[in-house]
Order: sequence, then structure tokens, then C-alpha cells
Amino acid sequence: MSTKCNLCNTLFKENINFCSKCGNSLSKSNNDKASSINLIIAFYITMLLFSFTSSYIYTISYSFTNEIITEIIFAFLVLGFSLFGYKKILKLYRIPDLGWKVWLFAIVFPIISSVFVNFFVDFLNSLFSLEETENYYTQYVFLEYPLFWSILFIAILPPIFEELAFRGFLFNQLKKVISNKQTIVATAFIFALIHFSVISFIWIFPFGLVLGYLRSKYNTLWLGMLVHFIHNLIIVFIDYTNLNI
Amino acid sequence: MEDTNKITIASCSMCNNALALESIFCENCGYPENGSENDIAKFHAKKAMDNNKHVGADKKIKSARNTLYAISGLTFAVGLFLYFQNKDLYLLVTNFSLCIAYLGLAFWSSKKPLMALLIGLLLYLTTITISAIEEPTTLAKGILWKIIIISYLSKGIYSASSVEKVDQSHLK
Repeated sequence: MSTKCNLCNTLFKENINFCSKCGNSLSKSNNDKASSINLIIAFYITMLLFSFTSSYIYTISYSFTNEIITEIIFAFLVLGFSLFGYKKILKLYRIPDLGWKVWLFAIVFPIISSVFVNFFVDFLNSLFSLEETENYYTQYVFLEYPLFWSILFIAILPPIFEELAFRGFLFNQLKKVISNKQTIVATAFIFALIHFSVISFIWIFPFGLVLGYLRSKYNTLWLGMLVHFIHNLIIVFIDYTNLNI
Repeated sequence: MEDTNKITIASCSMCNNALALESIFCENCGYPENGSENDIAKFHAKKAMDNNKHVGADKKIKSARNTLYAISGLTFAVGLFLYFQNKDLYLLVTNFSLCIAYLGLAFWSSKKPLMALLIGLLLYLTTITISAIEEPTTLAKGILWKIIIISYLSKGIYSASSVEKVDQSHLK
């Protein structure tokens, strides 16, 4: 990556801290870093407020209309934040030219992870008698075409908007203030944190690390979306099967 | 540009970074190896200012780290109290996990202050939100303490972000 001095216009092939011709500082200014940190904190507080409000709405009355409204609000919030640095985010939607082994990994990994998570969470819950294992499909059984709606709300929409939010916007902003490795760890941690569950944290954190690694190595959101989609889809089918046995 | 001496050296006398023959300033630390006396004086003045900023930032980072230790201890104490009061194992496991997380972040903040303090703040905000979802009145409880904790962690985060820039230059 090349760097240009904005004082004397000298072009450097590598990233350097100071211009060797005029001594101008070329490293990121504290203001740039502070505005990225402000955006990260604002994004997270917005997500917390959204979670608080939506859970309050669901507590008063759960309805299909409420579900649609909260999904739309979440999508708008994510798209709104993504406007900051949208050019870099758009680049992540290019179809990558990857080898078959990478695509195979993106298909096999979520199959293993979803089956493992399903039994692991059940095992932990039964071991410690902690949270009651949630069957996601049951939320939609009262609707017409419940399998369709559960696939839409669990397997299709979250991978699209969560990947854009965490591996798109948040990843890009964090990368401006910390190193690449730290960014992968931080996005995975924040992604696990926002799911509000101690037990889920144990598997969502490593899952987020894999998604962050794929985003970092291949510079695309498509792999993450595919992994996330297959994982959630299998969870829906497991829950569907469990409920119908 | 002011007068500069002609170049014959191969490394910066301030940070030992390799210098290109035509370089006036070191690309790593900004030292005017082949600059004028005025440039050298400016460099040392800036270095002194950065060091002062560094000392102030270190204090704020240390306060933020101590805040994380305090939250960790409090979380553990509250977890134990609630367990003996309600015999709620889930609450005990949750508080114990949080205590370990805050403790780990506090230790880690001595190596990677920006990331550790940022995650510490987000974790704290998350616990406030989860408590508020369970019982909305908890939002107002201890509001002054919450503001103090958030302000200490925030100051630490912004100080850490300014220190990292100073550290990048590897000044002697």
C-alpha cells in the first residue's frame, strides 16, 4: 500500500510514519482514531438500545408485525452505520475468485459447527441446569408457513445484516485503531457479547473468530454470509425436526 | 525547505532505522538526521511535548485498569451475595464468568490498553443493558457510580489511542 505526503506530495511505496523529505507526520492522527472509536461506541450503544427496546416490545406483546418492524429497524440501523466508509464496505461485496477448497470449507465448517453447537449447548444446559434450551422454530409455529418464516428470520436475514454490521462496518472501523489480529478477536468478542448469553458466548466467540479470519484473509463478506447462513439453516432444521418428532 | 547537509549515513542516530541516502528525515521517528539545527530543535521540542502527553495518558490508562479490577471484585462479591440469598446457580456462574472476564481485561490492558479497555467498556454497558432488560428499574440504581465507571474507562480508551501513536515512533 502506498502513502502520499499531503505537504510535499512525495509518494512512498510503503506505509511510513514520517515523510523523509519534509518530516510531515504520515501516521493516522489522533482525531481520526478518536472519530473511529466514537463510531464504534455509538454503534454498540445503538445495538444495545435496539436490543433493549425490541425485548421490551416483545415482552408487552409478541406479534408477527412486531417481528417485521424490529427486523426493518435493525436493517436500517446497520445500513445507516455502513454509510460511514461505505466505499470500503462495497468492495467487500465483490465476488471473490477463491479456490474450491475455500468454498468447501465454507460449506463443511458450518455443518460441523451447527451439529456440535446443538448437542454441546444441550449438554451444558443439562449439566448445570442453567438456561432452558431455546427452540427457535417454536416462535413461528403459530404463523402460516412457519418453516418459510423461520428460515427467513433466522437463516437469511441475520447472516446478511449481522455480517454487514460486524465483519463489514465494525471490522473496518476497528482496523483503523488496532492491528488486524486484534480486530478479528475484538469483532468476535463483540459479536458474542451482543447475543446476551453466557452459554452461547462459549461457541459464538470461536465461531466469530472463524468469520473474522475469513473476512480478513479473503476480503469478502460472501464467505461469512455463506457460513452463517448454513449454520443457522441447519439449526432451524434441527429445531423443526425436534418439534415434529 | 531550510538548508540541509549532504547525506552519508546509513541509519538514524535516534532510532537506528535504516535511512535512504537522500532522506532528510527518518521515516520511522521523524528525526531530521540531515536537517538544519532548527529542525533538530523542533524535533526535540515535539518529543518533550509527546513525553508529557504520554505521562498524562499513562495515568488515565492506569485509572481505567484499576476501574476494571474494581468492577471485577464487585461483580464477584455481588454474585456470591445473590447466590447465598437466592441459591441461583445461573447467576453465580454468570457473575463469576464476568469477574474473570474483567480481571483478564485488566491484566491485558497493560499490554494492549486500547483494545482491552474498549472491550471492558462494551462489556460493562452490556451488563447494564441485560440487567435493565430483566428489571428496568436497575437502570437508575447506582447511576452516579455507573457514570463514574464509564467516564474512567472512556478516558482510558482515548488516552490509549493517543499513546499508541507515540509508541509507534519508537523514540529513544
